[in-house]
Amino acid sequence: MAALTPAAPPVTDAPAPARRPGRPRAGRGWRGAVLVIAAVYFLTPLLASFVFTVNDPVTGFTLDAYLEIFSAEGFVSSLLLSLGLAAATIVTVLVLTLPAMLAARLSAPRLRPVLEVLCTLPLVVPPITFVAGISTVLRWGPDYLATTPFYMTLIAVQNPSFPVVLVIANVVLALPFVYRALDAGLGAMDVRTLVEAARNCGASWPHVLLRVIIPNLKSGLASASFLTLALVLGEYTVARLLGFQPFSVWIVTISGSNAAMSVAVSIFSLLLTWLLLLVLSTAGTRRRRQS
Amino acid sequence: MAETSPAAPAAPRPGDRARAGGGGRRSLGWTAALPLLLFVGLAFGVPALALLAGAFTSEGAPSTANLTRSLQGAYLTALIGSVKLSALVAVVGAVLGTFLAQAVVTSPLRRLRDGVLTASGVLANFGGVPLAFAWIATLGNSGVLTTRLGLDAYGWSLYSFWGLALVYLYFSVPLMVLVVVPALDGLRPQWREAAQNNGATTWQFWRHVGIPVLTPALLGGVVLLFGGAFAAYATAAAMVGTVVPLVTLQIADALTGNVLIGYENVALALSFDMVVVAGLVMAIHLPLQRRSARWLR
Amino acid sequence: MNGAQVEFRGLRRAFGTTVALDGLDLTVAPGELIALLGPSGCGKTTALRCVAGFETPDAGAVLVGGEDITRVPANRRDAGMVFQSYSLFPNLNARDNVAFGMRVRKVPAAKRHARAAELLELVGLPSQGGRYPHQLSGGQQQRVALARALALEPSVLLLDEPLSALDAKVRVTLREEIRRLQLSLGITTIFVTHDQEEALSVADHVAVLKDGRLEQVGTPAEVYDRPATPFVAEFVGTMNHLPGRLDGDQVEVIGQRLPVHGEVPAGPDVDVLVRPETVLVTAAHDGDAEVVTASFRGASVRLRLRLADGTEVLADLPGHDATRLGPGGRAFLRLVRRPVLVAPRATAPAKVPAAGV
Repeated sequence: MAALTPAAPPVTDAPAPARRPGRPRAGRGWRGAVLVIAAVYFLTPLLASFVFTVNDPVTGFTLDAYLEIFSAEGFVSSLLLSLGLAAATIVTVLVLTLPAMLAARLSAPRLRPVLEVLCTLPLVVPPITFVAGISTVLRWGPDYLATTPFYMTLIAVQNPSFPVVLVIANVVLALPFVYRALDAGLGAMDVRTLVEAARNCGASWPHVLLRVIIPNLKSGLASASFLTLALVLGEYTVARLLGFQPFSVWIVTISGSNAAMSVAVSIFSLLLTWLLLLVLSTAGTRRRRQS
Repeated sequence: MAETSPAAPAAPRPGDRARAGGGGRRSLGWTAALPLLLFVGLAFGVPALALLAGAFTSEGAPSTANLTRSLQGAYLTALIGSVKLSALVAVVGAVLGTFLAQAVVTSPLRRLRDGVLTASGVLANFGGVPLAFAWIATLGNSGVLTTRLGLDAYGWSLYSFWGLALVYLYFSVPLMVLVVVPALDGLRPQWREAAQNNGATTWQFWRHVGIPVLTPALLGGVVLLFGGAFAAYATAAAMVGTVVPLVTLQIADALTGNVLIGYENVALALSFDMVVVAGLVMAIHLPLQRRSARWLR
Repeated sequence: MNGAQVEFRGLRRAFGTTVALDGLDLTVAPGELIALLGPSGCGKTTALRCVAGFETPDAGAVLVGGEDITRVPANRRDAGMVFQSYSLFPNLNARDNVAFGMRVRKVPAAKRHARAAELLELVGLPSQGGRYPHQLSGGQQQRVALARALALEPSVLLLDEPLSALDAKVRVTLREEIRRLQLSLGITTIFVTHDQEEALSVADHVAVLKDGRLEQVGTPAEVYDRPATPFVAEFVGTMNHLPGRLDGDQVEVIGQRLPVHGEVPAGPDVDVLVRPETVLVTAAHDGDAEVVTASFRGASVRLRLRLADGTEVLADLPGHDATRLGPGGRAFLRLVRRPVLVAPRATAPAKVPAAGV
């Protein structure tokens, strides 16, 4: 799994680069070369994949691979499972982190370094080692807990139709990214003054949260949600090793039977990510224009 | 420097908070954070402890046998293979990413910059199985380029150490671009001009000022790239199976019982090794990041 | 260190459609401090950057010590520059920042450290050599930048609004120290600023620029008292625009006849330009002017008065003279008898001058 990073929405308010006179043409050559090489490297696999999916040795051009996706067995159920997991993960991670981070900024400054460390720790633990730990815990079930109520809980979180354990694991994996996105968002506004001003005007705490903080934090929340969504849709390691079948695992399962279709699905998932990012960055721009 | 930039939004300083936070408010703050703390303790702490306990338990008794075994033979080869691959990807990715970022940052075309940054945001997150499949379709045994260019005649194989490196760069270079663009933007034109004004050539500027100033950000990027490549499992699993020895593949094998029963605890010991390596690398990263933020603000 | 003469000859520079320099001709005598003064976009910074070598003029030449340096690369010019702000290398401490130029020239470490220490002492930071830029205040950073600019003993010192990012108080002390240092070193100095008070207080000569052209060059007193053009009059100091009527080489304004200085525009109706300190105010309960506002400034008070016909006039008078002139008070106005500048009548009647510095 690739490391997830805060997807940088295009920065549009950076200062214009100062004129660097006296060397107008010197830099242009290497810059062009770098850009051309990068374009070739990054576009070739995309174009080649597309050619791979539409090329039929018998008939030439065909879009069958793409059409087959939607009728393939398990496509709908695994995609729905992934989207459901993503929604649950986003809600959970935001409900957990937002109050804690606001509290750290408003009333408990000593909480902040604690949160920072807690939310950075998952970065040090690669998903594969995390799942090793989780599967060990899950194995305790039959071994030690069979006679206690915890056993039923352990069974319940592994319900294959909606494995809560994956939500829990995804929340942990998403913590570093969500923390950074929200921290940047909170840093961009003066939470303390906003809250004090709102309280001064007689607003209740829920009102402050819903009408003052969340609207101002929209772009931070959007980017946290996007990162979490991308992470959950792409998450393979934990789901695969715990034996569940969300979208990312399903792609591999069908790849044995139909190579062209599995590549088509890969392109489909890339386009999906791209679309989500576009939605996010346009939302960000609209917000900036308002302010 | 605060006095010279009155326009900067006043960031809440830790000291400010004393005035508003009475004892009651403060405990309220910790209450608000309690769900998160409990969650991390349970969902992260318990598996981590289980991992530690398992790694140091052999046949029901405390021992370092698993750890010893995880640092021998095929396991050691896999661990070294992972470190080598990650280091290669991190260094090459960092260099290429920096050049690409510099090309974009110095370009007068605003659109090019926005486009590359958006693309980087997407591609840095384009990992896992789909990435592997896209490359297999391109340069795999029956890939489009392999068959059209007859690359197999030259002994080309994507399912190798170098093939993996090529594929890992696909998400590493964009990640580096995202990391290093803010740092390059932070290089003030005044520094270059001041250096010239003091008689420095372009090369002398980079040697004495530009590169030292960028170093924390660059090293930070190398660390992130290393971490990403080191932890990657899905891409490798989908591409090479077990042809290339990697520690993530070994752990997965041991966990899913593809090898002898009773090796679960070796998997845990291997995981422990990984965490130690990743932890060491991260420990370098954080102080560097602070320094870079101070210089480039 | 000896200063060199700097000469701008017909300097032109355009950025796209904006013309930054439109044939600038100016000579700076050896060892003097000249201030380039003007609003933003007047080309003053571009002119300075042409001397430093960061801009290449489209036409014209820059001469230093009689030598044409227009095409000499920036890193081989003999001019030290202090930038507006944030120009210190963040990875080097104050001492190494100052010694940077010597390090580039491969001066031995011991020698360059000694020289850097000497320079830091000169700018009043003898014990801050080990500090990094982020540990220094804005004023200290600019002092280090000044030491760095002087390190290679250049024959010209270029100051690009070096004080504009500093607090008012630091700004005043530092500009005085720059002047003291400049006088003791005798280095030719070009000081770019948009702050007329700054320019008037430190410079030997002030050159006022507008739209890339030189409007006037002269001593601070000349520029202030005898502005060559209405633009200069407006930009340097505060100016009243009073409605007047031309009559031969004299002008009639608020019931007085004064000689006209400089160019005489056509048409009998003109604006007469009058400094607030040349308006004499005498408190009188039957006076024809009413005090609208009075702002106390310590040593002086600035009054805004309204005449019977609605014209507003600013007047500065010593603080103790104004105790009886609160808002609502009445007074007689008179102008000091001396030649005045007149400008073509602005279309809007009796423009109220901004109550600037």
